Amino acid sequence: MFQDILISGLVNSGVYALLALGFSLIFGVARIVNIAHTAFYMLAAFALYGLLVVAGMPLLLAIPLAVVAVVALSLVCYKLVIEPVRQHESAVLIATIALALIFQESLLVAFGGSFRGIPNAVEGVVSILGVRVSYQRLIVLAVVAVTLVATWYLLNRTRLGLAIRAAANDQEIANLMGINVSRVAMYTVGISVALAAIAGVVVAPVFVVDPLMWLAPLVTMLAIVVLGGLGSLKGSVIGAFIIGYVEAITVFAVPSGSYLKGAVALSIMIVVLLLRPEGLFGVVFEEER
Amino acid sequence: MSRKLLLTAVAALGLVFSQGAWSQNIKIAVLGPMAFVQGENHWAGAEMARDEINKAGGISVGGVKRQIELVKVDTNEIQSVPDATNAIERAITRDKADFLVGGFRSEAVLAMQEVAMDSKKLFLGAGAADAKLCENVTKDYERYKYWFRVTPTKSADLARTIFAVLGAVGAQIRTDLKKETPKVAILGEKAAWTEALVKAAQDNLPKMKMEVVGTWQPSPIATDVTAELSAIKRSGADIVFTIVSGPMGIVLGRQMGELQLPAVAFGINVEAQKDGFWQATAGKGNYVATLDTFSEVETTPKTIPFVKAFKERFKKTPTYNAATYDAIHILQTAIEQTGTIDANKLIPVIEKMEAVGAAGIDTWDKSHDLIWAVGKTSGIAVQWQDGQKVAFWPPQTKGMKPFKMPKH
Amino acid sequence: MKGLLAWPRWLWAQLRHEVLVLPSRSFIFSAALLLLVLPFFYDDPYVLRIITMTAIFAIFAASWDLLAGFTGQVNFGHALFFGVGAYTSALLSYHLGWMPWATVPLGAALAMLVGVLVGIPCLRLRGSYLSLATLAFPLILTGVLFAFPDFSGGELGVSGLKRIMVGSVGNYYVAVVLMLLLCFGMWKITQSNTGLIFHAIREDEVACRASGINTTRYKLLAFALSGLFAGLAGALFAHFMRVAGPSSLEVALSFQVVIWGIFGGIATIYGPVLAVFLLYPLTEILANFDMFKEIRLLIFAVIVLLVLLFMPQGLTPWIRDKIELVCPRCKNRNVFTRHQCRLCGAELR
Repeated sequence: MFQDILISGLVNSGVYALLALGFSLIFGVARIVNIAHTAFYMLAAFALYGLLVVAGMPLLLAIPLAVVAVVALSLVCYKLVIEPVRQHESAVLIATIALALIFQESLLVAFGGSFRGIPNAVEGVVSILGVRVSYQRLIVLAVVAVTLVATWYLLNRTRLGLAIRAAANDQEIANLMGINVSRVAMYTVGISVALAAIAGVVVAPVFVVDPLMWLAPLVTMLAIVVLGGLGSLKGSVIGAFIIGYVEAITVFAVPSGSYLKGAVALSIMIVVLLLRPEGLFGVVFEEER
Repeated sequence: MSRKLLLTAVAALGLVFSQGAWSQNIKIAVLGPMAFVQGENHWAGAEMARDEINKAGGISVGGVKRQIELVKVDTNEIQSVPDATNAIERAITRDKADFLVGGFRSEAVLAMQEVAMDSKKLFLGAGAADAKLCENVTKDYERYKYWFRVTPTKSADLARTIFAVLGAVGAQIRTDLKKETPKVAILGEKAAWTEALVKAAQDNLPKMKMEVVGTWQPSPIATDVTAELSAIKRSGADIVFTIVSGPMGIVLGRQMGELQLPAVAFGINVEAQKDGFWQATAGKGNYVATLDTFSEVETTPKTIPFVKAFKERFKKTPTYNAATYDAIHILQTAIEQTGTIDANKLIPVIEKMEAVGAAGIDTWDKSHDLIWAVGKTSGIAVQWQDGQKVAFWPPQTKGMKPFKMPKH
Repeated sequence: MKGLLAWPRWLWAQLRHEVLVLPSRSFIFSAALLLLVLPFFYDDPYVLRIITMTAIFAIFAASWDLLAGFTGQVNFGHALFFGVGAYTSALLSYHLGWMPWATVPLGAALAMLVGVLVGIPCLRLRGSYLSLATLAFPLILTGVLFAFPDFSGGELGVSGLKRIMVGSVGNYYVAVVLMLLLCFGMWKITQSNTGLIFHAIREDEVACRASGINTTRYKLLAFALSGLFAGLAGALFAHFMRVAGPSSLEVALSFQVVIWGIFGGIATIYGPVLAVFLLYPLTEILANFDMFKEIRLLIFAVIVLLVLLFMPQGLTPWIRDKIELVCPRCKNRNVFTRHQCRLCGAELR
């Protein structure tokens, strides 16, 4: 049982980590609560479905194409819809909700409400510590690990990363220092959605694909970023693993209550917030006057 | 001056009445979530009935032949219950529907039932299995008598079908695997409708000489059941008894195939009833078996012609929602027998009717619910074998093929 | 004689000097009158049903604005109060058989209590943390309700409830009259001292506290009032639909009310009400046309987006700015056609 929890928790946590990290990036830099974040994840999954299953493209071509397409779409949306209303926080908020709804409805019209399956990249299972794990899940783990490391490298060892972190820290001063904050915001949006898209294409074969699949991960992801602390990248990743394992433990420890894992995750978030209102690693922003 | 006025008045009146009040057509509203499989089947089954009846001249109402006019009502019930009640109200007051068929999501159908009963319109259910819908008829007959359930049988009767099939599957396991007591893992989604079934399984299986090795209840929308399946594998189960209606059924089929579980999945798996199941499981859902309604077997003399024609026209197998076809034929029989479309006169006729439909042979009890009988309203059981849905139960029906076990 | 005419005279004076002086107020007044007399001209049950639902959702949206718009506690789980109101009155009606006019106020009262209970942990949270934490509450309640299906009906909810009045016209009036009274009441609250304090809390809570105001008490008051009105809307909804199910707690409903609130213009009360009256019937009307049936929600989202681009503060502030001018001296609003302020006589342009 212990090994089951270890392995299954690892995969789920990895996916959540990708999603939460992307969400935190956008929030930290652009102060946007992007409700449409998991909708981009869903778009990437459908893009892969369309390219791979409907158009019959080879996998190695379909995956990068899907990711690039979704990132390009997100940049277009950002420029057209989000940037003009950047000053009004509440407007940005419902703009992202509206975008998510538009994506959902468009997919419903294009593909219908039934569930789709995407074939695995690699077939077969392998036994690890006595637990049967499919190769696809191992691929998910590998991709997550590589992506997290790559993102860390980007943020901490490149000039762009420096600019992003500076803008996340204090936009005004970053601007004064000569950093083009609006362009940095665009890059951040691109990177963030790329993370979500990668999560989407890699995880889609493991889960089922349908136009309503963005809602459930949204709630969990929000719980994670709040738990970890909004704006803290480290917090998001750690929060993802905490929630991922809490869910895995709930499923194993209480077999007839496995539907409760959502409620348990949320309750933990509430409890942590009560004790530490900024989340575990949250950065407390000074109230802007 | 006054003649002009009279002419305009007559023209206006003509316009008003031509809106449908004096229409010769009998209007039947087909209610369902049209963007989803259930609604699509509601509509498809209704279209089949309409075209068949209209081609033969229409329904004879007291000697006058009237054509059927279908009204497509998208209730969007899966996403919004208020949308459904608005839609049915619109169908009744705006579109002036004479009869209502369809419905799927029980919570929405309960609300829609209230609207239909307010307007005293006959509402034939073709999708919601909740017992409450018919309990209302017993509770307040005068108000709810306009409701009849055409499909499926109520949840409690589903249990009887399941255990009948489970007995057959268990017997096959005993012969194939030479095991006296097959081991069963119960996997029911956590939902109100499964509670009674799970409990019934836990009670009945030992009596059927099968051992219950555990009960797992994931969420109906769970995207990952490997945890449960690992535990099931460890328990050495031969049968995974599934009570699933949500997308988890797809994940279940796929992951069982991926993990190469030696157990066979049987029970209720609504997603496995759909043609799209094979693709949704990426071809891994082999050996998944479930209760179903339509297949090219001779459940009734009408079944094979209907399923064949449906497949040819719509390029897919009908799901149980396509029983709107039967519902409309029931209306036709009742109307032709009484010579009127007055709901109050039709009700006693339907109550006593034995309707030979494409889904089964329907009779109703005092609460306007279907009476369960093997081969008549019990439905069939199908199994996915190499990309095809193959019917295997009840064995006495013509056209049934044998059940297959996964490789051990 | 004088006493008998005093009341109508006072009414007329109010009308002349308070309502008819501003185009926005006149509009609302005439719209309210129109709503009240509509059934005499047009008693199609379908149309009455739509407006009844709109009125109920209008109360719901206004209650969100009271909390989120005025005190700045942007609540992403407002469906919680709605669902509590719906379920409470439904369960009381179902298990104990009480009449709607008893269960509805009780549902509202329990929702008010829940409002305070939710408000307490939210006191410590700020901004986005508050929003996302409030998102969780309805989901937790849904989980709890599913855990006790015998009591709460599980995913099917409670059904077979009694209507408040028999017939669509009766229910229409109950909903519309309540909406007019409650929304007016909420607006009056915001125009009072309490409303001023709410506004101040949103603008700068620290300064507010420094002025000696007990912001904790006022924030909890806001939560309580918001919960009360939202719960009332929920209870009305349950009795109108005759079912109370988990759909009254879903995330989509919480998002919907946020959209209505911000689209209409936060911190106005009448803004969200107008938004509901525009957007909800629109989505219903679209359902009548085959061409648009399937893409209703899509059109809704596109409209919201477009309006946001041009009117980021919401619909009503934009409209008001076009038809009214603010006096530079006394800060009161005047019709845009005037040259001198109606109250202090200062030059308007």
